Amino acid sequence: MKWRRSSLSLRTRLYLFSGGILTLFAVNVATHVWGSFARSESLIAYRDAVNAAQLITDLEQSLEDNRQQVLVLATLRETTEDPLGVDEREVALAELNTIEQRLRRLGALGGEGTEDYYRRLHDSASKLLLDWRSFYSDYNNRSVVLNMESATTYNDAFQRLQELDQRQAFLAVQRSNTIDRTISITDRITVFGFVTTIAVTMLLVIALIRSTNASLLRLKTGVQRFGSGDLTHRIDAGRDAGEMGDLARTFNDMSAKLQSAIEDVRDAKANADAANAAKSMFLANVSHELRTPLNAIIGYSEMLQDEIGDPGELDRDQFHHDLGTIIFSGRQLLSLINDILDLSKIETGKMLVTAEWFQPAALVFQVCDSLSPLLSQNSNQLELDIDSNMPELHSDPGKVQQIVTNLFSNACKFTQNGTIKVSAHWRDDELRISVADTGIGMTDEQQSRVFDAFIQAESTTSTEYGGTGLGLAIVKQFCEMLGGHITLDSAPGEGSTFTVALPAVQGSDRAIV
Amino acid sequence: MTATPSKLLLVEDNEINRDMLVRRLSRAGYTVVAAGDGAQALDKMRTEQPALVLLDMNLPVKDGWTTCQEARADEALTNIPIIALTAHAMDSDREHALSIGCTDYATKPIDFPDLLKKIERLLTP
Repeated sequence: MKWRRSSLSLRTRLYLFSGGILTLFAVNVATHVWGSFARSESLIAYRDAVNAAQLITDLEQSLEDNRQQVLVLATLRETTEDPLGVDEREVALAELNTIEQRLRRLGALGGEGTEDYYRRLHDSASKLLLDWRSFYSDYNNRSVVLNMESATTYNDAFQRLQELDQRQAFLAVQRSNTIDRTISITDRITVFGFVTTIAVTMLLVIALIRSTNASLLRLKTGVQRFGSGDLTHRIDAGRDAGEMGDLARTFNDMSAKLQSAIEDVRDAKANADAANAAKSMFLANVSHELRTPLNAIIGYSEMLQDEIGDPGELDRDQFHHDLGTIIFSGRQLLSLINDILDLSKIETGKMLVTAEWFQPAALVFQVCDSLSPLLSQNSNQLELDIDSNMPELHSDPGKVQQIVTNLFSNACKFTQNGTIKVSAHWRDDELRISVADTGIGMTDEQQSRVFDAFIQAESTTSTEYGGTGLGLAIVKQFCEMLGGHITLDSAPGEGSTFTVALPAVQGSDRAIV
Repeated sequence: MTATPSKLLLVEDNEINRDMLVRRLSRAGYTVVAAGDGAQALDKMRTEQPALVLLDMNLPVKDGWTTCQEARADEALTNIPIIALTAHAMDSDREHALSIGCTDYATKPIDFPDLLKKIERLLTP
């Protein structure tokens, strides 16, 4: 099991560290107090034993002295008639009391296992003292035959005293050994406790330094990696609790915000670059598209200028045809310039919508009629399906006209020996105009780009079919400006159908773009 | 069979521009063969053996860039001078055309006297 010390907050770590040190300190003090207590206990017991030995020695001396005195007095009583003085007797009795007191003190000092010895001594000594008291009391009473204490009683008492002495001596030695042992043990415990405290303190210090350092290192590494450009780098905030974790999370929040800000700036720059590139591309395309009709205009004009200077009869029919070519190219150039201006106006928001009420069926008829010469170019046939009873439309007739014109001329351009079908109906409060052809059609990929400016389905398409590549871009923009939309249904080789849906009242239910 | 010194191949898809250049080059004394796309151009380079090719770059079927590269890779056609004709007027287009093997470059609208000078220079041994 791993101890996740680094998951503790710095404050908790410091508290735990201090608590640990204080606990160890308390344990040391307690060990020391216990040691002192054990030593003093042993010392008291030892002192008792020593005191007891001293008392025993005193008692031995007193007993011996008293016996001598009793023996002397007994001899005196038999040989003389001198009575025992009151003072002398009092002194003697006081001496006996002293002996008795010492006996009691000895009893009070009684160590472990000395009780039996003491009781036996007490019994013998009490008997002896009783004999001696009787002796002193009855000394002057001549009628009383003094019961001289027998040697047995004294010897017995003395014997008991010595036994106790030996016992006490044995206890003193035993206690002295206990003291030695206690001192040795408490010393060892104190030293062990001290060493343990130092070791544990060092371990705690190292653990604290390492865990704190690891947290700081993670922060530092994270800041450095982020600073060196690794914007996705985040600090593992889950590995630290408390202040370090908070700091890591705060840093991560800051990093996320910075990252998104930097990415926004990058995106904005990329968009600006893309827009700039698109503008350059547009300009290059405009330049290219303008040069093609200009080539014909300049080329034919120069050629006619040369031919007019030739001697001989001028081929008037040829001349007329060539002038027609120049005019056609000039018109193509004009329509191109108009398309470019229209797109530019749409892009800069300067294209205005001028809405009025008009009859859409009439407008569609008119466009088809005026563009009918285009049909013959590729041997196409026109099919009309226009509902002439449609209600009036409130929209921009100029733009609707251009929409239909562009779709119609595209259909004619990309269809050979086929049919162009133009239908106009009123459905779901919308005007639906569709222009269907049986021409070359488009792949899905081509359909997805066909409404972009300067895009024809293929780069080679424009050279095969001509055109500016702006027509459908304008149609789409106009449809959206009128609040409508355009859809395309096409497949390669199966023709294309463009369907425009326009609201009855321009801007009624859709925002004007 | 050797190339006729004055036979030119004009490759141009735009009918108006093709007719105009054919007439003007014929007027200037050249025999002009025309082609409308890159594939036709390579065929006519082999069959007609022109002394020089005027090659539009924006062609259907096979564009001018590819046509030029294939001509340069073909041993029989590699030495025929090619003048690129294009409405792309950027310096980078010119460099690109020369880098893929075009001998010279002319921008539309064509400066006809200048084009004639280029042709003459390339046809003069």
